[in-house]
Amino acid sequence: MKVTRLLAGAAGAALMGVGVSLLLDVRDLTDVVVWLGGAVVLHDALIAPAVLLAGLVLVRGGLRGPVRAALIVAGSLTVVALPVLLRPGPRANSSVLPLDYPRNWLIALAAVAAVTALSTAARRRARRRRPPS
Amino acid sequence: MFRCGPATGGMESMKLRVSPPVFKGGLHDARTATSLGRWLGLAFTVCFLTGLVSHLMQHPPGWLADGLPSRPSWGYRLTQGLHVASGIAAIPLLLAKLWTVYPRLFARPALRSVRHALERLSVAVLVAGALFEPATGLLNTAQWYPWPFSFVPVHYAVAWLVVGALVLHVAVQAPEIRAHWSRRSPGTLALPASDGRDRRSLLAAVGAAVGAVTLTTVGQSFTPLKDLILFAPRDPDEGPQALPVNRTAAAAGVGRIPGEAYRLAVDGPRPYTLTLDDLRALPQHEVELPIACVEGWSRSAHWTGVRIADLLERAGAPPHARVRVVSLQLRGGYRVSEMGHRHARDPLTLLALRLNGAELHPDHGYPARLIAPNRPGVLQTKWVGRLEVLS
Repeated sequence: MKVTRLLAGAAGAALMGVGVSLLLDVRDLTDVVVWLGGAVVLHDALIAPAVLLAGLVLVRGGLRGPVRAALIVAGSLTVVALPVLLRPGPRANSSVLPLDYPRNWLIALAAVAAVTALSTAARRRARRRRPPS
Repeated sequence: MFRCGPATGGMESMKLRVSPPVFKGGLHDARTATSLGRWLGLAFTVCFLTGLVSHLMQHPPGWLADGLPSRPSWGYRLTQGLHVASGIAAIPLLLAKLWTVYPRLFARPALRSVRHALERLSVAVLVAGALFEPATGLLNTAQWYPWPFSFVPVHYAVAWLVVGALVLHVAVQAPEIRAHWSRRSPGTLALPASDGRDRRSLLAAVGAAVGAVTLTTVGQSFTPLKDLILFAPRDPDEGPQALPVNRTAAAAGVGRIPGEAYRLAVDGPRPYTLTLDDLRALPQHEVELPIACVEGWSRSAHWTGVRIADLLERAGAPPHARVRVVSLQLRGGYRVSEMGHRHARDPLTLLALRLNGAELHPDHGYPARLIAPNRPGVLQTKWVGRLEVLS
Protein backbone atom coordinates (compact mmCIF):
# COMPACT_ATOMS: atom_id res chain seq x y z
CA MET A 1 0.00 0.00 0.00
CA LYS A 2 2.83 2.31 0.89
CA VAL A 3 4.49 1.59 -2.47
CA THR A 4 1.25 2.40 -4.32
CA ARG A 5 1.01 5.67 -2.43
CA LEU A 6 4.58 6.60 -3.24
CA LEU A 7 4.10 5.71 -6.90
CA ALA A 8 0.87 7.72 -7.07
CA GLY A 9 2.62 10.68 -5.45
CA ALA A 10 5.48 10.44 -7.92
CA ALA A 11 3.02 10.19 -10.84
CA GLY A 12 1.25 13.31 -9.55
CA ALA A 13 4.52 15.21 -9.31
CA ALA A 14 5.41 14.06 -12.85
CA LEU A 15 2.06 15.27 -14.21
CA MET A 16 2.62 18.60 -12.50
CA GLY A 17 6.00 18.65 -14.24
CA VAL A 18 4.23 18.30 -17.58
CA GLY A 19 2.06 21.28 -16.67
CA VAL A 20 5.07 23.37 -15.64
CA SER A 21 6.96 22.53 -18.83
CA LEU A 22 3.90 23.47 -20.91
CA LEU A 23 3.58 26.72 -18.96
CA LEU A 24 7.22 27.59 -19.63
CA ASP A 25 6.32 27.70 -23.32
CA VAL A 26 3.62 30.29 -22.66
CA ARG A 27 4.63 33.81 -23.56
CA ASP A 28 2.97 35.81 -20.79
CA LEU A 29 3.96 33.54 -17.92
CA THR A 30 4.02 36.35 -15.34
CA ASP A 31 0.40 37.21 -16.14
CA VAL A 32 -0.60 33.56 -15.73
CA VAL A 33 1.10 33.38 -12.32
CA VAL A 34 -0.62 36.61 -11.26
CA TRP A 35 -4.00 35.19 -12.29
CA LEU A 36 -3.37 31.87 -10.53
CA GLY A 37 -2.28 33.65 -7.35
CA GLY A 38 -5.10 36.13 -7.71
CA ALA A 39 -7.63 33.29 -7.81
CA VAL A 40 -6.36 31.99 -4.45
CA VAL A 41 -6.28 35.44 -2.85
CA LEU A 42 -9.76 36.28 -4.15
CA HIS A 43 -11.15 33.02 -2.77
CA ASP A 44 -9.25 32.77 0.52
CA ALA A 45 -9.37 36.43 1.50
CA LEU A 46 -12.77 37.47 0.16
CA ILE A 47 -15.18 34.77 -1.00
CA ALA A 48 -14.59 32.18 1.74
CA PRO A 49 -14.73 34.68 4.65
CA ALA A 50 -17.89 36.20 3.18
CA VAL A 51 -19.55 32.77 2.90
CA LEU A 52 -18.45 31.83 6.42
CA LEU A 53 -19.83 35.10 7.74
CA ALA A 54 -23.13 34.44 5.98
CA GLY A 55 -23.12 30.97 7.57
CA LEU A 56 -22.51 32.50 10.99
CA VAL A 57 -25.47 34.85 10.59
CA LEU A 58 -27.60 31.95 9.36
CA VAL A 59 -26.77 29.70 12.32
CA ARG A 60 -27.22 32.56 14.83
CA GLY A 61 -30.64 33.10 13.28
CA GLY A 62 -31.43 29.43 13.92
CA LEU A 63 -31.65 28.63 10.20
CA ARG A 64 -30.05 25.57 8.68
CA GLY A 65 -31.52 22.84 6.44
CA PRO A 66 -33.78 24.22 3.70
CA VAL A 67 -32.68 27.87 3.92
CA ARG A 68 -29.02 26.88 3.76
CA ALA A 69 -29.80 24.60 0.80
CA ALA A 70 -31.66 27.43 -0.96
CA LEU A 71 -28.70 29.78 -0.49
CA ILE A 72 -26.25 27.15 -1.76
CA VAL A 73 -28.34 26.46 -4.88
CA ALA A 74 -29.05 30.14 -5.57
CA GLY A 75 -25.41 31.05 -4.95
CA SER A 76 -24.16 28.34 -7.31
CA LEU A 77 -26.61 29.41 -10.02
CA THR A 78 -25.45 33.01 -9.61
CA VAL A 79 -21.77 32.08 -9.87
CA VAL A 80 -22.41 30.09 -13.06
CA ALA A 81 -24.53 32.95 -14.46
CA LEU A 82 -21.98 35.69 -13.74
CA PRO A 83 -20.15 35.50 -17.12
CA VAL A 84 -23.34 35.70 -19.20
CA LEU A 85 -24.81 38.36 -16.89
CA LEU A 86 -21.80 40.66 -16.76
CA ARG A 87 -19.92 40.20 -20.03
CA PRO A 88 -19.14 43.69 -21.36
CA GLY A 89 -18.68 44.74 -24.96
CA PRO A 90 -20.46 43.86 -28.18
CA ARG A 91 -21.24 40.23 -29.06
CA ALA A 92 -19.63 38.55 -32.07
CA ASN A 93 -23.09 37.96 -33.58
CA SER A 94 -26.73 37.62 -32.54
CA SER A 95 -26.45 33.88 -31.79
CA VAL A 96 -23.89 34.59 -29.03
CA LEU A 97 -25.56 35.26 -25.64
CA PRO A 98 -29.01 35.43 -27.25
CA LEU A 99 -31.09 35.21 -24.07
CA ASP A 100 -32.41 37.73 -21.55
CA TYR A 101 -30.04 36.61 -18.80
CA PRO A 102 -31.07 39.09 -16.05
CA ARG A 103 -34.67 37.90 -16.49
CA ASN A 104 -33.54 34.25 -16.40
CA TRP A 105 -31.55 34.90 -13.24
CA LEU A 106 -34.63 36.32 -11.51
CA ILE A 107 -36.68 33.33 -12.70
CA ALA A 108 -34.08 30.95 -11.24
CA LEU A 109 -34.02 32.76 -7.88
CA ALA A 110 -37.82 32.80 -7.76
CA ALA A 111 -37.92 29.07 -8.56
CA VAL A 112 -35.43 28.32 -5.77
CA ALA A 113 -37.46 30.42 -3.32
CA ALA A 114 -40.71 28.73 -4.37
CA VAL A 115 -39.31 25.20 -4.06
CA THR A 116 -37.86 26.07 -0.64
CA ALA A 117 -41.12 27.54 0.61
CA LEU A 118 -43.13 24.57 -0.65
CA SER A 119 -40.81 21.96 0.84
CA THR A 120 -40.70 23.81 4.17
CA ALA A 121 -44.50 24.03 4.26
CA ALA A 122 -44.85 20.36 3.35
CA ARG A 123 -42.44 19.41 6.13
CA ARG A 124 -44.32 21.46 8.71
CA ARG A 125 -47.61 19.90 7.70
CA ALA A 126 -46.14 16.41 7.91
CA ARG A 127 -44.79 17.18 11.36
CA ARG A 128 -48.16 18.55 12.53
CA ARG A 129 -50.04 15.51 11.25
CA ARG A 130 -47.79 13.16 13.18
CA PRO A 131 -49.81 12.06 16.27
CA PRO A 132 -48.44 13.56 19.46
CA SER A 133 -46.51 10.96 21.43
CA MET B 1 -18.97 29.58 13.05
CA PHE B 2 -15.71 31.49 12.93
CA ARG B 3 -14.19 34.39 14.74
CA CYS B 4 -11.29 36.50 13.69
CA GLY B 5 -9.87 39.31 15.70
CA PRO B 6 -6.76 40.96 16.97
CA ALA B 7 -5.22 39.68 20.17
CA THR B 8 -3.28 42.09 22.29
CA GLY B 9 0.41 41.44 22.12
CA GLY B 10 2.76 41.59 25.04
CA MET B 11 3.43 44.99 26.50
CA GLU B 12 7.07 44.65 25.60
CA SER B 13 6.39 44.36 21.87
CA MET B 14 3.41 46.73 21.65
CA LYS B 15 2.65 45.18 18.27
CA LEU B 16 -0.81 44.28 17.16
CA ARG B 17 -0.86 40.57 16.47
CA VAL B 18 -3.63 38.91 14.51
CA SER B 19 -4.65 35.59 15.97
CA PRO B 20 -5.77 32.78 13.69
CA PRO B 21 -9.55 32.54 13.36
CA VAL B 22 -11.38 29.95 15.44
CA PHE B 23 -13.85 27.73 13.60
CA LYS B 24 -16.61 26.51 15.86
CA GLY B 25 -19.07 25.36 13.23
CA GLY B 26 -19.42 21.75 12.18
CA LEU B 27 -18.74 19.96 8.93
CA HIS B 28 -15.19 21.26 8.48
CA ASP B 29 -14.24 17.61 8.88
CA ALA B 30 -12.55 14.88 6.88
CA ARG B 31 -15.77 12.92 6.26
CA THR B 32 -17.44 15.90 4.58
CA ALA B 33 -14.23 16.62 2.65
CA THR B 34 -14.05 12.98 1.50
CA SER B 35 -17.70 12.86 0.40
CA LEU B 36 -17.41 16.07 -1.60
CA GLY B 37 -13.90 15.27 -2.82
CA ARG B 38 -15.00 12.02 -4.44
CA TRP B 39 -17.52 13.79 -6.66
CA LEU B 40 -15.19 16.69 -7.33
CA GLY B 41 -12.43 14.25 -8.27
CA LEU B 42 -14.79 12.49 -10.67
CA ALA B 43 -15.87 15.77 -12.28
CA PHE B 44 -12.25 16.92 -12.67
CA THR B 45 -11.22 13.55 -14.13
CA VAL B 46 -13.99 13.63 -16.74
CA CYS B 47 -13.19 17.27 -17.50
CA PHE B 48 -9.47 16.55 -17.90
CA LEU B 49 -9.88 13.48 -20.11
CA THR B 50 -12.47 15.09 -22.39
CA GLY B 51 -10.30 18.21 -22.56
CA LEU B 52 -7.37 16.06 -23.60
CA VAL B 53 -9.52 14.52 -26.37
CA SER B 54 -10.47 18.00 -27.57
CA HIS B 55 -6.85 19.17 -27.55
CA LEU B 56 -5.68 16.13 -29.51
CA MET B 57 -8.46 16.56 -32.08
CA GLN B 58 -7.74 20.25 -32.56
CA HIS B 59 -3.96 20.06 -32.48
CA PRO B 60 -3.08 16.45 -33.29
CA PRO B 61 0.61 15.62 -32.91
CA GLY B 62 2.20 14.17 -36.05
CA TRP B 63 2.02 10.55 -34.93
CA LEU B 64 -1.71 10.81 -34.27
CA ALA B 65 -2.82 13.01 -37.14
CA ASP B 66 -3.64 10.09 -39.42
CA GLY B 67 -5.06 7.90 -36.66
CA LEU B 68 -7.90 10.17 -35.54
CA PRO B 69 -11.12 8.20 -35.98
CA SER B 70 -14.05 9.71 -37.87
CA ARG B 71 -16.52 7.59 -35.87
CA PRO B 72 -18.63 7.66 -33.84
CA SER B 73 -20.00 10.66 -35.72
CA TRP B 74 -21.25 12.16 -32.43
CA GLY B 75 -17.95 11.52 -30.62
CA TYR B 76 -16.71 15.09 -30.33
CA ARG B 77 -20.19 16.35 -29.57
CA LEU B 78 -20.32 13.99 -26.59
CA THR B 79 -16.82 14.60 -25.26
CA GLN B 80 -16.93 18.38 -25.59
CA GLY B 81 -20.46 18.56 -24.18
CA LEU B 82 -19.22 16.50 -21.22
CA HIS B 83 -16.15 18.71 -20.89
CA VAL B 84 -18.18 21.86 -20.39
CA ALA B 85 -20.93 20.14 -18.34
CA SER B 86 -18.45 18.49 -15.95
CA GLY B 87 -16.58 21.78 -15.57
CA ILE B 88 -19.80 23.58 -14.65
CA ALA B 89 -20.87 20.76 -12.31
CA ALA B 90 -17.50 21.02 -10.57
CA ILE B 91 -18.12 24.63 -9.54
CA PRO B 92 -20.55 24.02 -6.61
CA LEU B 93 -18.55 20.96 -5.58
CA LEU B 94 -15.28 22.91 -5.60
CA LEU B 95 -16.67 25.82 -3.59
CA ALA B 96 -18.22 23.44 -1.03
CA LYS B 97 -15.01 21.42 -0.77
CA LEU B 98 -12.93 24.55 -0.22
CA TRP B 99 -15.40 25.77 2.42
CA THR B 100 -15.05 22.46 4.24
CA VAL B 101 -11.26 22.50 4.37
CA TYR B 102 -10.86 26.27 4.77
CA PRO B 103 -9.84 26.10 8.48
CA ARG B 104 -6.78 24.10 7.45
CA LEU B 105 -5.42 27.25 5.87
CA PHE B 106 -4.76 28.48 9.41
CA ALA B 107 -3.13 25.27 10.72
CA ARG B 108 -0.47 25.91 13.34
CA PRO B 109 2.45 25.57 13.13
CA ALA B 110 2.21 26.84 9.57
CA LEU B 111 5.22 24.81 8.43
CA ARG B 112 6.44 21.79 10.39
CA SER B 113 9.06 20.38 8.06
CA VAL B 114 10.32 20.45 4.50
CA ARG B 115 7.85 17.70 3.64
CA HIS B 116 4.99 19.64 5.18
CA ALA B 117 6.05 22.76 3.27
CA LEU B 118 6.04 20.87 -0.04
CA GLU B 119 2.67 19.39 0.82
CA ARG B 120 1.19 22.81 1.49
CA LEU B 121 2.77 24.16 -1.69
CA SER B 122 1.15 21.38 -3.73
CA VAL B 123 -2.23 22.15 -2.12
CA ALA B 124 -1.75 25.83 -2.95
CA VAL B 125 -1.08 24.88 -6.59
CA LEU B 126 -4.12 22.59 -6.55
CA VAL B 127 -6.43 25.28 -5.17
CA ALA B 128 -5.09 27.94 -7.55
CA GLY B 129 -5.45 25.71 -10.61
CA ALA B 130 -8.79 24.26 -9.50
CA LEU B 131 -10.25 27.77 -9.23
CA PHE B 132 -8.52 29.01 -12.39
CA GLU B 133 -9.67 26.24 -14.74
CA PRO B 134 -13.47 26.36 -14.30
CA ALA B 135 -13.35 30.18 -14.12
CA THR B 136 -11.38 30.65 -17.34
CA GLY B 137 -13.33 27.86 -19.07
CA LEU B 138 -16.70 29.35 -18.16
CA LEU B 139 -15.63 32.85 -19.23
CA ASN B 140 -14.37 31.40 -22.52
CA THR B 141 -17.79 29.88 -23.25
CA ALA B 142 -19.24 33.39 -22.89
CA GLN B 143 -16.47 34.68 -25.23
CA TRP B 144 -15.20 36.95 -22.47
CA TYR B 145 -11.41 37.21 -22.24
CA PRO B 146 -10.45 39.61 -19.44
CA TRP B 147 -6.89 38.20 -19.17
CA PRO B 148 -3.86 39.25 -21.17
CA PHE B 149 -2.68 35.73 -22.12
CA SER B 150 -3.84 33.31 -24.77
CA PHE B 151 -6.65 31.06 -23.46
CA VAL B 152 -6.07 27.67 -25.11
CA PRO B 153 -2.38 26.97 -24.28
CA VAL B 154 -2.76 28.29 -20.71
CA HIS B 155 -6.02 26.42 -19.98
CA TYR B 156 -4.34 23.27 -21.33
CA ALA B 157 -1.09 23.66 -19.35
CA VAL B 158 -2.85 24.45 -16.05
CA ALA B 159 -5.08 21.38 -16.56
CA TRP B 160 -1.97 19.17 -16.30
CA LEU B 161 -0.87 21.10 -13.25
CA VAL B 162 -4.25 20.55 -11.56
CA VAL B 163 -4.47 16.87 -12.41
CA GLY B 164 -0.91 16.28 -11.17
CA ALA B 165 -1.56 18.17 -7.94
CA LEU B 166 -4.84 16.24 -7.53
CA VAL B 167 -3.16 12.83 -7.88
CA LEU B 168 -0.47 13.96 -5.44
CA HIS B 169 -3.14 15.24 -3.04
CA VAL B 170 -5.01 11.91 -3.11
CA ALA B 171 -1.74 10.06 -2.47
CA VAL B 172 -0.88 12.30 0.48
CA GLN B 173 -4.38 12.12 1.96
CA ALA B 174 -4.95 8.42 1.21
CA PRO B 175 -5.05 7.34 4.90
CA GLU B 176 -7.53 10.11 5.76
CA ILE B 177 -9.67 9.31 2.73
CA ARG B 178 -9.73 5.62 3.62
CA ALA B 179 -10.59 6.38 7.25
CA HIS B 180 -13.61 8.46 6.16
CA TRP B 181 -14.69 6.63 3.00
CA SER B 182 -18.07 5.37 4.26
CA ARG B 183 -20.47 6.15 7.09
CA ARG B 184 -19.09 3.19 9.03
CA SER B 185 -15.40 3.86 8.42
CA PRO B 186 -13.42 4.24 11.68
CA GLY B 187 -12.64 7.93 11.10
CA THR B 188 -16.27 8.76 10.40
CA LEU B 189 -17.40 6.94 13.54
CA ALA B 190 -14.94 8.97 15.60
CA LEU B 191 -16.67 12.22 14.52
CA PRO B 192 -19.64 13.56 16.52
CA ALA B 193 -22.65 11.44 15.56
CA SER B 194 -24.88 14.51 15.85
CA ASP B 195 -23.19 15.98 12.74
CA GLY B 196 -24.44 13.12 10.56
CA ARG B 197 -27.83 14.61 9.80
CA ASP B 198 -26.45 18.09 9.20
CA ARG B 199 -23.81 16.63 6.87
CA ARG B 200 -26.37 14.70 4.83
CA SER B 201 -28.45 17.86 4.54
CA LEU B 202 -25.40 19.83 3.32
CA LEU B 203 -24.42 17.15 0.81
CA ALA B 204 -27.99 17.01 -0.50
CA ALA B 205 -27.94 20.79 -0.92
CA VAL B 206 -24.66 20.68 -2.85
CA GLY B 207 -26.10 17.85 -4.96
CA ALA B 208 -29.16 20.02 -5.68
CA ALA B 209 -26.84 22.88 -6.69
CA VAL B 210 -24.98 20.59 -9.10
CA GLY B 211 -28.32 19.51 -10.56
CA ALA B 212 -29.51 23.11 -10.86
CA VAL B 213 -26.42 24.47 -12.65
CA THR B 214 -26.42 21.44 -14.95
CA LEU B 215 -30.12 21.63 -15.87
CA THR B 216 -29.93 25.35 -16.63
CA THR B 217 -26.93 25.03 -18.98
CA VAL B 218 -26.62 21.52 -20.41
CA GLY B 219 -29.33 22.07 -23.04
CA GLN B 220 -26.76 23.92 -25.18
CA SER B 221 -25.32 20.54 -26.14
CA PHE B 222 -27.90 18.02 -24.87
CA THR B 223 -30.71 19.42 -27.01
CA PRO B 224 -33.61 17.45 -25.41
CA LEU B 225 -33.13 19.81 -22.43
CA LYS B 226 -32.86 22.98 -24.51
CA ASP B 227 -36.08 24.41 -23.09
CA LEU B 228 -34.52 24.49 -19.62
CA ILE B 229 -31.61 26.71 -20.68
CA LEU B 230 -31.31 29.81 -18.50
CA PHE B 231 -27.58 30.56 -18.35
CA ALA B 232 -26.02 28.85 -21.38
CA PRO B 233 -24.26 31.29 -23.72
CA ARG B 234 -25.98 29.64 -26.69
CA ASP B 235 -29.47 28.53 -27.59
CA PRO B 236 -29.25 25.65 -30.10
CA ASP B 237 -32.19 27.12 -32.04
CA GLU B 238 -30.82 30.65 -32.18
CA GLY B 239 -28.97 31.68 -35.34
CA PRO B 240 -29.42 31.80 -39.11
CA GLN B 241 -31.27 28.64 -40.30
CA ALA B 242 -31.83 27.80 -36.60
CA LEU B 243 -28.17 26.99 -36.07
CA PRO B 244 -25.74 29.09 -33.97
CA VAL B 245 -22.74 30.72 -35.61
CA ASN B 246 -19.28 31.54 -34.33
CA ARG B 247 -17.66 33.51 -37.13
CA THR B 248 -20.02 35.30 -39.47
CA ALA B 249 -19.35 35.95 -43.16
CA ALA B 250 -18.87 39.63 -42.35
CA ALA B 251 -16.38 38.85 -39.57
CA ALA B 252 -14.46 36.54 -41.90
CA GLY B 253 -14.33 39.28 -44.52
CA VAL B 254 -16.06 37.24 -47.23
CA GLY B 255 -19.56 38.73 -47.19
CA ARG B 256 -21.93 37.13 -49.68
CA ILE B 257 -19.85 35.37 -52.33
CA PRO B 258 -21.62 35.59 -55.73
CA GLY B 259 -22.54 32.05 -56.78
CA GLU B 260 -21.57 32.60 -60.41
CA ALA B 261 -18.08 33.83 -59.43
CA TYR B 262 -17.41 30.89 -57.11
CA ARG B 263 -14.82 28.27 -58.09
CA LEU B 264 -13.67 25.21 -56.18
CA ALA B 265 -10.08 24.21 -57.00
CA VAL B 266 -9.03 20.66 -56.23
CA ASP B 267 -5.25 20.19 -56.23
CA GLY B 268 -3.95 16.65 -56.64
CA PRO B 269 -2.33 14.37 -59.18
CA ARG B 270 -5.14 15.41 -61.62
CA PRO B 271 -6.09 18.96 -60.57
CA TYR B 272 -9.39 20.51 -61.69
CA THR B 273 -11.75 23.39 -61.02
CA LEU B 274 -15.54 23.30 -60.56
CA THR B 275 -18.23 25.99 -60.64
CA LEU B 276 -21.13 25.97 -58.20
CA ASP B 277 -23.39 24.55 -60.94
CA ASP B 278 -20.81 21.79 -61.58
CA LEU B 279 -20.93 20.93 -57.88
CA ARG B 280 -24.74 20.90 -57.89
CA ALA B 281 -24.67 18.53 -60.89
CA LEU B 282 -22.53 15.97 -59.04
CA PRO B 283 -24.21 13.18 -57.03
CA GLN B 284 -25.70 14.77 -53.89
CA HIS B 285 -25.81 13.05 -50.51
CA GLU B 286 -27.72 13.98 -47.37
CA VAL B 287 -26.25 13.38 -43.92
CA GLU B 288 -27.28 14.28 -40.38
CA LEU B 289 -24.26 15.58 -38.49
CA PRO B 290 -23.74 17.96 -35.56
CA ILE B 291 -21.78 21.17 -35.44
CA ALA B 292 -19.99 20.68 -32.11
CA CYS B 293 -18.16 23.80 -30.95
CA VAL B 294 -15.14 23.76 -28.65
CA GLU B 295 -17.11 26.18 -26.46
CA GLY B 296 -19.45 23.32 -25.62
CA TRP B 297 -22.62 24.02 -27.59
CA SER B 298 -23.66 21.64 -30.33
CA ARG B 299 -26.56 21.18 -32.70
CA SER B 300 -27.43 18.43 -35.14
CA ALA B 301 -28.50 19.39 -38.66
CA HIS B 302 -29.25 17.93 -42.09
CA TRP B 303 -26.57 18.67 -44.68
CA THR B 304 -26.68 18.04 -48.42
CA GLY B 305 -23.71 18.14 -50.76
CA VAL B 306 -20.93 16.28 -52.54
CA ARG B 307 -18.83 13.62 -50.86
CA ILE B 308 -15.25 14.76 -50.29
CA ALA B 309 -14.21 11.17 -51.14
CA ASP B 310 -15.76 11.57 -54.65
CA LEU B 311 -13.92 14.86 -55.22
CA LEU B 312 -10.63 13.30 -54.11
CA GLU B 313 -11.19 10.24 -56.30
CA ARG B 314 -11.64 12.47 -59.34
CA ALA B 315 -8.35 14.24 -58.54
CA GLY B 316 -6.58 10.89 -58.44
CA ALA B 317 -5.72 11.17 -54.74
CA PRO B 318 -4.08 8.10 -53.19
CA PRO B 319 -6.38 6.41 -50.64
CA HIS B 320 -4.27 7.32 -47.60
CA ALA B 321 -3.59 10.93 -48.58
CA ARG B 322 -4.14 13.75 -46.11
CA VAL B 323 -6.23 16.67 -47.30
CA ARG B 324 -5.93 20.39 -46.66
CA VAL B 325 -9.12 22.44 -46.79
CA VAL B 326 -8.59 26.13 -47.56
CA SER B 327 -11.24 28.76 -46.95
CA LEU B 328 -11.88 31.94 -48.93
CA GLN B 329 -12.09 33.86 -45.64
CA LEU B 330 -9.77 36.82 -45.33
CA ARG B 331 -9.77 37.31 -41.57
CA GLY B 332 -9.65 35.21 -38.42
CA GLY B 333 -8.01 31.96 -37.41
CA TYR B 334 -8.79 28.49 -38.73
CA ARG B 335 -8.72 29.61 -42.37
CA VAL B 336 -7.04 26.29 -43.20
CA SER B 337 -7.80 22.88 -41.73
CA GLU B 338 -6.39 19.45 -42.40
CA MET B 339 -7.92 15.98 -42.39
CA GLY B 340 -6.46 12.52 -42.16
CA HIS B 341 -7.62 9.86 -44.62
CA ARG B 342 -10.20 8.44 -42.18
CA HIS B 343 -12.12 11.70 -42.19
CA ALA B 344 -11.45 12.46 -45.86
CA ARG B 345 -12.70 9.05 -47.02
CA ASP B 346 -15.66 8.79 -44.65
CA PRO B 347 -18.88 8.70 -46.71
CA LEU B 348 -20.43 11.14 -44.22
CA THR B 349 -17.82 13.81 -44.95
CA LEU B 350 -19.33 16.30 -47.38
CA LEU B 351 -18.63 19.52 -49.12
CA ALA B 352 -22.09 20.75 -48.09
CA LEU B 353 -24.14 23.08 -50.29
CA ARG B 354 -27.41 22.93 -48.37
CA LEU B 355 -28.46 23.04 -44.73
CA ASN B 356 -31.81 21.73 -43.47
CA GLY B 357 -33.22 21.71 -47.01
CA ALA B 358 -32.21 25.26 -47.98
CA GLU B 359 -29.15 26.83 -49.54
CA LEU B 360 -26.42 27.60 -46.99
CA HIS B 361 -26.72 30.98 -45.28
CA PRO B 362 -23.53 33.08 -45.87
CA ASP B 363 -22.79 32.80 -42.15
CA HIS B 364 -22.84 29.00 -42.49
CA GLY B 365 -20.36 29.04 -45.35
CA TYR B 366 -22.21 29.75 -48.62
CA PRO B 367 -21.49 28.59 -51.29
CA ALA B 368 -19.82 25.46 -49.85
CA ARG B 369 -18.50 24.27 -46.50
CA LEU B 370 -16.92 21.21 -44.99
CA ILE B 371 -19.00 19.01 -42.68
CA ALA B 372 -17.36 15.89 -41.28
CA PRO B 373 -18.25 13.44 -38.50
CA ASN B 374 -16.48 13.53 -35.10
CA ARG B 375 -14.71 16.82 -35.72
CA PRO B 376 -14.46 20.08 -33.71
CA GLY B 377 -16.62 22.90 -35.10
CA VAL B 378 -13.67 25.23 -35.74
CA LEU B 379 -12.27 22.65 -38.18
CA GLN B 380 -15.54 22.42 -40.17
CA THR B 381 -14.12 24.95 -42.62
CA LYS B 382 -16.60 27.38 -44.19
CA TRP B 383 -16.45 29.16 -47.60
CA VAL B 384 -14.22 26.37 -48.98
CA GLY B 385 -12.26 27.54 -52.02
CA ARG B 386 -9.65 24.82 -52.38
CA LEU B 387 -8.98 21.20 -51.50
CA GLU B 388 -5.33 20.16 -51.57
CA VAL B 389 -4.26 16.53 -51.65
CA LEU B 390 -1.16 16.21 -49.47
CA SER B 391 1.42 13.52 -50.08
